[in-house]
Amino acid sequence: MPRRMATAGVVCLLATLLGAMIVPAALATTQPLGGTTEPDEGLMIDNFDPETGKRIIPNERCLTCHGDEQQKTDVRDDGSPVTIFVHSKQIENSVHGSQQCTSCHVTIDRVPHRKAPAVVVGCVECHRETWEQHKDDPDGEYARLAVVNEQIDSYMQSIHAQPNALDQSHTNATCYDCHDGHNVGELGSIQRSEFRLKNPQVCGRCHEEALDEYRTSDHGKAVLEEGDSEAAVCSDCHSTHEIAPTETDKAQLAITQHCGDCHQEAQRTYFDSYHGQVHRLGYTEAAKCHDCHGGHLVKSEDDPTSEIHANNRLENCRNCHENANKNFLSFWPHGDANDPENYPDLWAFKVFMETLIFAVMGFFWIHVLLWLYREVMDRRQGKGFNEDLSKPDLVYYRRFPAVWRWIHFLFAVATMTLILTGTTLLFSHTAWAKAVVDFLGGIRMEAIIHRTAAVIWLSIFILHLVLAIRNIRRNRATFEWFGSTSLLPNWKDLQDLKDMFKWFLGFGPRPQFNHWTYWQKFDYWAPFWGAMVIGLSGLVLFMPGITSLVLPGWSFNIANLVHAEEALLAAIFLNSVHFFNVHFRPERFPMSTAIFTGVIPIDEFKHDHRLEYDRLVENGELEKHLVQRPSRRASLAASFITTVLIMAGLALLTLVLIGLVTAPS
Amino acid sequence: MNSKKTINTQGCNRLLSLLALLALVPFQLSAESARLPAGPSGQALAFTCAGCHGTDGSSVGPSMPAIAGMDPEVFVDAMKAYRQDERNPSIMNRIAKAYTDEQFEAMGWFFASQRLRLFPQPYDPRLAEQGARLHDDYCEKCHENGGRPGDAGTLAGQWMPYLHFTMEDFISGKRKWPRKMQRKVDAAIEEAGGDAIPALVNYYGSQQ
Repeated sequence: MPRRMATAGVVCLLATLLGAMIVPAALATTQPLGGTTEPDEGLMIDNFDPETGKRIIPNERCLTCHGDEQQKTDVRDDGSPVTIFVHSKQIENSVHGSQQCTSCHVTIDRVPHRKAPAVVVGCVECHRETWEQHKDDPDGEYARLAVVNEQIDSYMQSIHAQPNALDQSHTNATCYDCHDGHNVGELGSIQRSEFRLKNPQVCGRCHEEALDEYRTSDHGKAVLEEGDSEAAVCSDCHSTHEIAPTETDKAQLAITQHCGDCHQEAQRTYFDSYHGQVHRLGYTEAAKCHDCHGGHLVKSEDDPTSEIHANNRLENCRNCHENANKNFLSFWPHGDANDPENYPDLWAFKVFMETLIFAVMGFFWIHVLLWLYREVMDRRQGKGFNEDLSKPDLVYYRRFPAVWRWIHFLFAVATMTLILTGTTLLFSHTAWAKAVVDFLGGIRMEAIIHRTAAVIWLSIFILHLVLAIRNIRRNRATFEWFGSTSLLPNWKDLQDLKDMFKWFLGFGPRPQFNHWTYWQKFDYWAPFWGAMVIGLSGLVLFMPGITSLVLPGWSFNIANLVHAEEALLAAIFLNSVHFFNVHFRPERFPMSTAIFTGVIPIDEFKHDHRLEYDRLVENGELEKHLVQRPSRRASLAASFITTVLIMAGLALLTLVLIGLVTAPS
Repeated sequence: MNSKKTINTQGCNRLLSLLALLALVPFQLSAESARLPAGPSGQALAFTCAGCHGTDGSSVGPSMPAIAGMDPEVFVDAMKAYRQDERNPSIMNRIAKAYTDEQFEAMGWFFASQRLRLFPQPYDPRLAEQGARLHDDYCEKCHENGGRPGDAGTLAGQWMPYLHFTMEDFISGKRKWPRKMQRKVDAAIEEAGGDAIPALVNYYGSQQ
């Protein structure tokens, strides 16, 4: 019995084991082990990226809470309220509509948030990488990212990208502080125009005082009260991304520049003024738009609270010109010499000065060209003055005593210095002007140099007058006002001029001249006139506080215009016509050093001043004017100085011509 | 009576499942070892859970939570909390200490790959209906889709006794509230009083 029982037991066990192996396996493949399975909505692991193992959080999951219009706020762990709502439709319609929430909110890895989530969003890398990937795409779908990346570069240089002074772990502002990250519209979209109108409020979140002031301004009223999207918002003046601290030159220059984006005419006339010229050279020392008009408080001059209202204007001027008096009020900050209707006086002066320039330059350039033609023709025919190489010059005629040579040298150097420093303002639009001012050490240093040169220049002019009057007084017994040695023009000069033109055209011989030819007299009297005009206008500008005591404010406008135009005439005349008459005409080429050695070869004197030569011979006075040939060292020194001055003069002429040709219309 | 019968049926099912698993062990192990020679696979590790949490994590014990289809990160969080004695344990704190983070993750991935099997359990339809409304108002945003397996754990079809014990743990302070949950539960209790928790538990239990 026990044996049977044992056998039966073994059989039962085997049968049980076999059954245990077969039955469950059959059940497992055909039907569940009891209960019901979850609906076939995928497995939990489908919510994870098989490659990275990272959780995939669909936007719908985020919008469960953040898209609930019934519960737009939540409370933080500390109990404070927080707005959590995002407008899902706006996102869908924005340029980021196809993005996953977690593409930007990269630190969100669990939903519901296990810890209080922080908004940690970095826009830069994604935009840069996406542009790198797609910049060569033929369809141009990502073309706008080029602009975005430029703006990123600008932003990186801006004050907003700098660490915050109170908390260095954050920048002053980042992309989404200004951009509504969930509502960035495409170009031309409604979102963008709405975003523009919201710009003041967006900036005002941090810049509260600025916003309060802006609200009262004409710009602010137009934008915030009338919804005028054409009126200026913050970014129009401050730029969108390359924003610098407003106390910096960079910001002030940019803001003033941006005013002109809308107010072109005002900017054009501003740039014609001294204030504007300094600005255009890249310096902020002179008044800029916001200095006079008020930055955020800009209002029309009719508004009694406007800084440019008649009642407030003098106080406004005194911000810079501390001693400004009432005469300043008649200054035309935007005086336009091209506007005869509103500025007839200024216009008249401009017409006069430009007529003078065109007349003088036109006449003398024709004179130069004809003279060049005649001398070239004569020389081809073997005529004219030629150095006889078999008889080197040994005897020279003393034409200029030392004092005149010094006066000419200092006058030339001072004039060139004045031209260089002065034309940087006149041609402040050029790169060379900016480089020159920078090289000289800035606008203030340039002003010092210009004024110093002006003092030297005027002193020389006055000294020459004193010497000339003294000489005339000394020789008053014999001095003939219109005699052969006088610089005063006479009828013979007019006759000589006619005869020269006849000679130019081959209708007569070359006229014979006295001690001074008519062009030499012009070379003298033109700067004489120029010295008066430039000197007087310069003095008005030099000391505005004093001159404004007796002169009306608009005299600064006139002085500025006349000073510039006359200086321009002098710069062009001296460095072209004067250089040709003295140095470049074939008989003299490449230069005459007479003004530094003080002497010219007797043959040259005889050729150029035949009447004076004959008179001196006749009177027996020639001998006392004759000297030996200058030493080789003196000749070399004179050639060197002349060369330097000629080269400097030609360089200045080139810069002036560049300035004229590139001048904005 | 009906209840006893259900438990007996469940016992049979559990026995059969265990036997089936035993039969499959040698084949599964050999397949896993070919891929992951460094250690036991998540599935192999999960076999030890089956005794309590049921085959592949679909629990058949009323007080034992189903973990099939569980969010793997929720699973790992729970295991780590047990291991560090930060979660009210039964015996899980002792068990969890035997595993590494990697093993937790492997087990988590295994359970996440399973489909939860739901077993019928008795519930009160009136409470379940009230619970559905409370769930929608206070719980759905985290435990979405009626509390089905998701990133906030599994409630739908979960064993009601387990849910009840767990809520008692939360309310009594034995278990730390997840962020924001206490506020929501308090609000539900404020609305429905003492019925709130039973209503919610019945609602989840009703989803079979």
